[in-house]
Amino acid sequence: MARNKIGEALGEMFRTALETPVTEEYPFGKKVVTERFRGKLDIDPLKCTGCSICEIVCPAEVITMVTVGKKTVGTRTLDVKRPKFELYSCISCGQCVDDCRFGALTLTHEFELAVFRKESLRMDKALEGV
Amino acid sequence: MSSGKPSEEKSEAGAGLMQYSPESMMPFGPVHPSLKEPEYFRLVLEGEKIKEVIPRIGYVHRGIERAAQERTWVKDIYLFERICGICSFAHSICFTQGVEALSKFEVPRRAKYIRLVVAELERIHSHLLWLGLVGHWAGFDTLFMWVWKDREHVLDLSEAITGNRIHKSYATFGGVRKDLPDDIKDKLLAEMSFIEKRVKYYDELVSSERTLSVRTKGVGTITQDAARRLCPVGPLLRSTGIARDVRAEDPYAAYDEVPPEVQFRTDGDIASLLSLRMGEVLDSCRMIRVAMEKLPSGPFRTPVPRSVPAGDSAFHVEAPRGELFYYSKSEGLSSPARVKIRTPTMANLLTATEMLKGRPLADVPIVLTGMDPCFGCMDRVSVIDLDKSKQWAFTGEQLREYGIEYYRRLL
Amino acid sequence: MNALEVFELLVFPGLTFFVWLAFVFEWLERKTAARMQGRLGPVVTGPFGLLQPVADFFKLASKEEIIPEYADTFVLRWGPALYFAAPAVGVAFIPVLGFQSILYQPLDLLVMFFLLSFSTLMAAMLGYASAGRYSTIAVGRLVVQYSSYEVPLLLSMITPAVLAGDISIQGVVAAQGSLWYIFLAPAAFAVFIVSALAELEKPPFDIPSAKTEIVGGWMTEFSGNTLAYVKLTKNLSYVFLSALAVSLFLGGPSGPVIFGNSSAQAAIYGVYFLVKLFAVGFLIFAIRTALARVRIDQAAKLFWTVITPISLAQLAVAIVIR
Repeated sequence: MARNKIGEALGEMFRTALETPVTEEYPFGKKVVTERFRGKLDIDPLKCTGCSICEIVCPAEVITMVTVGKKTVGTRTLDVKRPKFELYSCISCGQCVDDCRFGALTLTHEFELAVFRKESLRMDKALEGV
Repeated sequence: MSSGKPSEEKSEAGAGLMQYSPESMMPFGPVHPSLKEPEYFRLVLEGEKIKEVIPRIGYVHRGIERAAQERTWVKDIYLFERICGICSFAHSICFTQGVEALSKFEVPRRAKYIRLVVAELERIHSHLLWLGLVGHWAGFDTLFMWVWKDREHVLDLSEAITGNRIHKSYATFGGVRKDLPDDIKDKLLAEMSFIEKRVKYYDELVSSERTLSVRTKGVGTITQDAARRLCPVGPLLRSTGIARDVRAEDPYAAYDEVPPEVQFRTDGDIASLLSLRMGEVLDSCRMIRVAMEKLPSGPFRTPVPRSVPAGDSAFHVEAPRGELFYYSKSEGLSSPARVKIRTPTMANLLTATEMLKGRPLADVPIVLTGMDPCFGCMDRVSVIDLDKSKQWAFTGEQLREYGIEYYRRLL
Repeated sequence: MNALEVFELLVFPGLTFFVWLAFVFEWLERKTAARMQGRLGPVVTGPFGLLQPVADFFKLASKEEIIPEYADTFVLRWGPALYFAAPAVGVAFIPVLGFQSILYQPLDLLVMFFLLSFSTLMAAMLGYASAGRYSTIAVGRLVVQYSSYEVPLLLSMITPAVLAGDISIQGVVAAQGSLWYIFLAPAAFAVFIVSALAELEKPPFDIPSAKTEIVGGWMTEFSGNTLAYVKLTKNLSYVFLSALAVSLFLGGPSGPVIFGNSSAQAAIYGVYFLVKLFAVGFLIFAIRTALARVRIDQAAKLFWTVITPISLAQLAVAIVIR
């Protein structure tokens, strides 16, 4: 394979010039992601029971359980907890999604997460209405 | 390690540098357009010729091994895969397999095959990335753009299987986290044909295009003797004719059932590295096809308990850059007691500096790229020994001996 | 000089026209290089990204200028103006709208030689005055490269003059008539193009400003206004050398006469000139996109052992033909 020419690439160059460029015109065009793409985390508050497993397994320490009330079980009084998410630290690994036995957590396809204020990436919707 | 007090060793290092006047030393890095990551190479120049290269590393040192001791075993998988973006899955499977060996978990066959497929996919993506970079640093931006255009296909496959292009977060203790998607087989085989066609074209292009071949033939040559002395790993070693590959010699995952055809070349220069890595890509395509044909059915994951029994294990895999080595030690707690990582770039670094001596300055980017450096992987060399309350940095000589020692322990 | 001549000199087809052409050439280069690589090129600024080079120029001009501590401030302030002046004056000698150029001297091809070497001298001085490690190495490479391509470039420029029997650009253009010198002296054209690639520091000869090796080459320490003008001058040199190639080898603005001897015909001549100019420009950047960068010693070897003998042989053939 030692043809040792100059301008070996010319043919391919002209061929490529006539094809459509592969650049996706994001953000002027929409970006389509695959089915399994791991984007922003979301919780279904109705399914969450406050078991705290997500808090334990999160590698990025995104989840903090907050006591939102008390309940009586038999003769004991227990705390009712719900998770609070600081999604600016989330690495979208999906460990919490895998470990949640109740299927409350999902990773959506949303990836445009640049914000001006970090606090707007907090997710407290599991805390409400309990 | 070596005898002698730290202050003596430090002044020796200083004395080594002082003989060169500041004007004749050209800094290459820490920040330089041709380096992906910051490393500091002091080049002692005579006009355009390099007399000596004095590397200094540690700019990307993040304290990962220490951080690993504070996190649970599962959290550590995510930590280690972020050591490097390009060989992230290699780190991931090396660590998980090390712990599985320690705990004596048995991984289902299907999971082994899936790990092989994703690991080879990562090898393809890494080599294509490298090829593009060689083009870019040789001033051939057209090659760079074309190769990275084709690499997008591989990354899209990775996203379809694992959910992300780079940090795959796919391996876990006992197998992989999700099964392969149902429609992936046809897509994989089609893309493999595409990649094979393109890689054959690139192989032809880089070997016959004159302006590239004058920059790569006979440049940065390592002889077999130099290789035995300096102990590089991976493609750098195989380009000198020593055909060693962890996948063939110590098979892990499904490599015992789908063995690689170990590629090697004999010239030891950058042109042979180009040809070698292209050969490895073609071989990876072949292995993915074979693996997809032979893919067994069954579970893709065994449930495992969350704590790891006491003991220690060492495990190595063939990352795209060479042999990656993990040592894990457990004391039965939820966090590892110690994890020690030796990445391939650390073994290759001194070989690369040796390759540079006597070459003109214009060869520096090409030669440094030739060894496919991943300094992010590499920076675990500054040693702080809390027990003995001593802190020192290795000099070049000690670094070299350290690397050789480590490598010898594996043989 | 009356008002019309001043207008011609400064605006059309003089300085402003050629500066506009410099911007267009940069756009064309980026766009075709991008398309050949499968990318889009500039798209956002202006229709098809046409205003991108203009936007870049104004952006650079609006930035702060940082001058290194040990640099020679005097040279860095006035050097770019002189560097810009070299091709800016040179384009006035190129006939565009017909067989008369705006400025004319009987020996103006020699003026072209001087301007080309002057511009390289200014580049070397600017690089040296920057007093940085990368700039110094780059100046070394620049001087080596210059000494390699200078002889073939001059020889290939003399060949059409020998064939025409006239050392003025106007004369060479007029003497070509309908038999362009590219057909009589193709090797000289090829040598000219290769040497032009070296003069413009385009791949495969972009060693003095090799981005991935010595950061920015001799332009490393420039910023703000200086960099804006230096980049503009490089584009202007690109146009200038293409225009020289068109005048010396492709018959300048000559072509089929349609409107007789009138100003409409002058416009047609301008169109012919532009078409040929873009053809040569396109040739140069097709070559540039297709090749990698060679090392400085390999470039020098190439020029001295291959290109110079070819140009000498071609000159001998030209003398014989005439």
